[in-house]
Amino acid sequence: MDDKIAKMKTEGMLAHLPPLRRRQFLAGAAAAAGVGALGLPRMASAQSGSTLRISSYTNPSSMDPAIGGNGGDHVYLWNFYDTLIEWDFDTLAPIPSLAKAWEFTDPTTLVLTLEEGVTFHDGSPFNAEAVVFNLERNRGAETSNVKPDLATIESTEATGEYEVTIRLKQPDTALPLILSDRAGMMVSPTALGNDPEANVNRNAVGAGPWKFVSWTDHDKVEGTRNEAYWRDGQPAMDNLVMTITPERATAMRAVQSGQSDLAYSLSETQKTLIERLPNLKLVEGPTVYIFQLYLNRSRGPLQDARVRQALQLAIDREAYVQATQAGVGEPARMFLPQAHWAYSEAAAEHVYFDLDRAKALMKEAGLESGFEIDFVSYTDQAFVQRQEVVLEQLSKINVRGAFRNGPVPDIVSRFMGKEKSGDSMLSAWTGRPDPTQTYDLLFSENSFYNPGRTPPPEGFAEALAESRATSDQEKRKAAFDKVQTIVMREALAITLSVRYEVNVATTQVSGFVPNLLGKPKFREVKVG
Amino acid sequence: MTSQPRPLDAAPGASGRDPAEPRAHVDPAPSAVAAARGAASTATADAQAAARPASYSVADVPPTRRSFGRKVRDWGSDDPFAVVALIVLLAIVACSIFAPWISPYDPTLQDYNVILMPPSPEYILGTDDLGRDVFSRLIHGASASVYAAFLAVGVAAILGIPVGLIAGYAGGWVDDAISRIIDTFLSFPAIVLAIAVTGVLGIGLTNAMISVGIVFAPQLARLARARTLVLKQELYVDAARCFGASPTRILWKHVLPNAIQPVLVQMTLLMAVALLAEASLSFLGLGMQPPEPSWGGMIARAYLYMQIAPEQMYAPGLAILATALAFNTLGESLREAMDPTSAKG
Amino acid sequence: MLNPLQRRMLRRRLLQAIPVLFLATFSVFMLMKLLPGDVAVVLAGEQATDERIAEIREIYGLNRPLLVQYGDWVLGAVTGDLSQSLLSGEEISTTIARVFPNTLFIVGYAILISIVLGVPLGVLAASRPNTWVDKFVMTFSSVGVALPNFWLAMIFVGAFALNRAWLPATGFVPPQEDFFAAVAHATLPAVALAASGVAEVARQLRSSLVEILQSQHFRTLHAKGLHPRAMLWRHGLRNVSVNLLTVISLLVNRTLAATVVVEAVFAIPGMGTTMVNATLQRDFPVVQGVVLMMVLTVIAVNLITDMLYSVLDPRIGQK
Repeated sequence: MDDKIAKMKTEGMLAHLPPLRRRQFLAGAAAAAGVGALGLPRMASAQSGSTLRISSYTNPSSMDPAIGGNGGDHVYLWNFYDTLIEWDFDTLAPIPSLAKAWEFTDPTTLVLTLEEGVTFHDGSPFNAEAVVFNLERNRGAETSNVKPDLATIESTEATGEYEVTIRLKQPDTALPLILSDRAGMMVSPTALGNDPEANVNRNAVGAGPWKFVSWTDHDKVEGTRNEAYWRDGQPAMDNLVMTITPERATAMRAVQSGQSDLAYSLSETQKTLIERLPNLKLVEGPTVYIFQLYLNRSRGPLQDARVRQALQLAIDREAYVQATQAGVGEPARMFLPQAHWAYSEAAAEHVYFDLDRAKALMKEAGLESGFEIDFVSYTDQAFVQRQEVVLEQLSKINVRGAFRNGPVPDIVSRFMGKEKSGDSMLSAWTGRPDPTQTYDLLFSENSFYNPGRTPPPEGFAEALAESRATSDQEKRKAAFDKVQTIVMREALAITLSVRYEVNVATTQVSGFVPNLLGKPKFREVKVG
Repeated sequence: MTSQPRPLDAAPGASGRDPAEPRAHVDPAPSAVAAARGAASTATADAQAAARPASYSVADVPPTRRSFGRKVRDWGSDDPFAVVALIVLLAIVACSIFAPWISPYDPTLQDYNVILMPPSPEYILGTDDLGRDVFSRLIHGASASVYAAFLAVGVAAILGIPVGLIAGYAGGWVDDAISRIIDTFLSFPAIVLAIAVTGVLGIGLTNAMISVGIVFAPQLARLARARTLVLKQELYVDAARCFGASPTRILWKHVLPNAIQPVLVQMTLLMAVALLAEASLSFLGLGMQPPEPSWGGMIARAYLYMQIAPEQMYAPGLAILATALAFNTLGESLREAMDPTSAKG
Repeated sequence: MLNPLQRRMLRRRLLQAIPVLFLATFSVFMLMKLLPGDVAVVLAGEQATDERIAEIREIYGLNRPLLVQYGDWVLGAVTGDLSQSLLSGEEISTTIARVFPNTLFIVGYAILISIVLGVPLGVLAASRPNTWVDKFVMTFSSVGVALPNFWLAMIFVGAFALNRAWLPATGFVPPQEDFFAAVAHATLPAVALAASGVAEVARQLRSSLVEILQSQHFRTLHAKGLHPRAMLWRHGLRNVSVNLLTVISLLVNRTLAATVVVEAVFAIPGMGTTMVNATLQRDFPVVQGVVLMMVLTVIAVNLITDMLYSVLDPRIGQK
């Protein structure tokens, strides 16, 4: 111990901080220097003008889009960062944003044409250089969590002040929609001190509708109007206050009592309450969040497609939605909801409820007397309820099992990681901006989310590549027809239901529209 | 996707009255109250002794020896509540054993047509969120609860009593070391320990209650140690030592039988706490795994539906309350019964 | 202010606290590391891949030998740097500064209720032993101790929910922000916590008082002609004050443990919920920091109690 202290004194504290602290120290210093140089006050207080008050759900993991990892972060990030490309709220089809146009000049070259006259919150200009900096950072920095999303990029180049050319290692037409998510959120390079290894974990600096004001953990996130926002007339409200209220009943009560204007991500059981109260309105809609049973297809009876199909046909999805989602939702017939632009009727035909057919399939596979499945899932009561319904339904075809539950990090790392513990996991797929990502991440051979690392069936990889090769929306849809038909016919996983988002707002609120991604955007929301 | 955990209330230390010392000894003996405290010192013990004045009066004359039957009858008439408590406990144990025969429905049978129904002739206590009969689940939950309580207290006894006996008897640095370790455990947040143990051993009722037992063990250890310290000075222990009896033999034959009484009382009281602990852990999802019912799990599920069906929480909560109350009453009554000079007014 | 005997005891206790602290934090550390479940998986989030997870483990130093990681933490803790949360990056000292006062507020409030309601009840029962008053108080206290307090909390939330505006059912306002609102929001949780506390205090007090009243000492005083009521309050309470103190210190420890569940039901951001969430998500530094704080608190409470003993009764500590 003495030795260590002595060493520290001679070589300096910095060398002996563990990597994280060192990095944060440097990043913090860079950020402070960057911000200080521009004379921007660290904490602007924003109290004048209209305020949109939101009861939010989770504590963000980080204000840096490249570093955070939580699905719940987006709702915060959309406020401070704009993305290169956005999507249609109802179908998730891509539409322009900071990139006012894009084109695949050839299958491996994507050219983005950027909006002009846009500035970041710190006054620095948004241009091709800034985009290139962001993309390179996202795909190369050590702490970047979005590297896998940009894995197909070979190089990026600013080929004009407002033009970016992205060269790809292989055709990847999923890229535009990928750029509608974290990987496409533009951070001010100046705020990062032009250092890709720096971060803005605690202080967002982007080009979004609001400027970041403060974030007190588990308490509040605040923002104030970006006066220089490039979209005219937005944001509708001057100030933004998001109060973190994980407990959903409290969140709803806050809206009811007028403390908040809206709350999102409520539980389905609260829908009846909302409908009963006169001063509240329900904002509801499908999302890409799909409950499913992951299957480890590398061992046991689950290797047999007929067994998996039997499981698929034994689930009464309507009843499942009734029981576990208070009837709010829809059966999931693939990993996309019905409203999605890439939804496939052909694939949906393989997913229905037929107990007799299921039993026949089991018999065909020689397992009429059934077998045991080692299930794993989470300890959350809502999940326990889902487990009970699934067990009940599967018992009808003699598939028995018990659930071993545990906390999320535990279960996920054991089921998906090296241990490969458990045959099936009841969990959910939170959705991805582009359907290619969903199917690639779930079923490609070496993907983390493919529990047994089993190779996908014939034709899957080709169809997936096809969906990445063409930028024509119709052709992509046809490719996804093929991909999803293969997945659902072979029952590679058992989809259960689509989660609908249930949000509440006071009757004064207008412009609050749900989107299919399930992560609300607030820039057009107005109160009064 | 992230779970909202429901934490454990493995509150150590049930009501701690002084273990009844035979009045003939006005020893500065550490009491159960002090024993249950964290990082306590013998200063507390002195405090207890000092606060309890030695008193002799006509009313304090110990009663003459009675037959066992007489004792039971006396106990019954003195303390009817305790008799009621015993009957309640026996009923619960009976439920847990005969559950499959008594319960009107299969506790896991779901029927989505009768979700969250109020009590009716078909369903005595109504149905839950998946249309299962609450009464049947209550009966089957009794097994889990009984098993849970006995397991936790059993583990606590097996771990705690020997440690306490050894610490008390050996004295010196052994005692010091063991006492410090016990102190550490006592100041440890029980919930972290419970989560850790279930994390390492795997989640499930058995492992959860083992962790609760580990949390309780220090209390019993302290109590056993306290009693041993006193008994060590007894004449018969000295005599045994002079005759060359080994420490093990002394502990087993002489110290343990005399130390056991207050420990037994405390164990009965701990049953109630174990029950509450099981409920808390199930609330957290670390207890009973689906689809078997447990009372704590039923409350946890009711929590989900609190806004639209608050009445769901009453049945399991009252079941837990009644059982815990029964254990407590029985324990208190045993304590009074074992102390012939206790202040019964 | 303190006599030499007390000073010596204080010094001794403080010294003894150090190994306890080490042992407690080291045990937690080892337990957390032994736990299956990889915080790196959580950190990788939705973009998890095998490589990314391995990379994260390197970045956050999770692959270093355990003792090195622990030693690193101790070094930091001793200088007041409790590191940051792996998951949110928040300085843990900030986290604790944020949640600890909330827990203390609720616990303090609950202890206050326990004493304010428990003492008179105990005295009442003791002054009329074996009457229906006594039986009622004793029954009430038995029930109080047997109540699952999170269940009681849920009943409160249910009863005081949407419809009634008297006391807010959930949510929390820190006392620094708005004291009266804080008290209003903290009342239901404090009462839920205090239910068993009132029961304990009443019962213990009643037992001790009755014992005292039966004793030789008191019979003498009574024979001398002192009014029972005066005896009860002046002599009785002073004698049982030590017992009372023990009960209260036990109560503080127990309430600190019990607050975890109640915090969950009432959605209060306190030490309990922080610790549970961090443990479940394997956010080691947070667990370490919170455990350290809790152990320190327990040690402090016990120390204060023992010092108060020696003040109340100078015989204590003389070995």
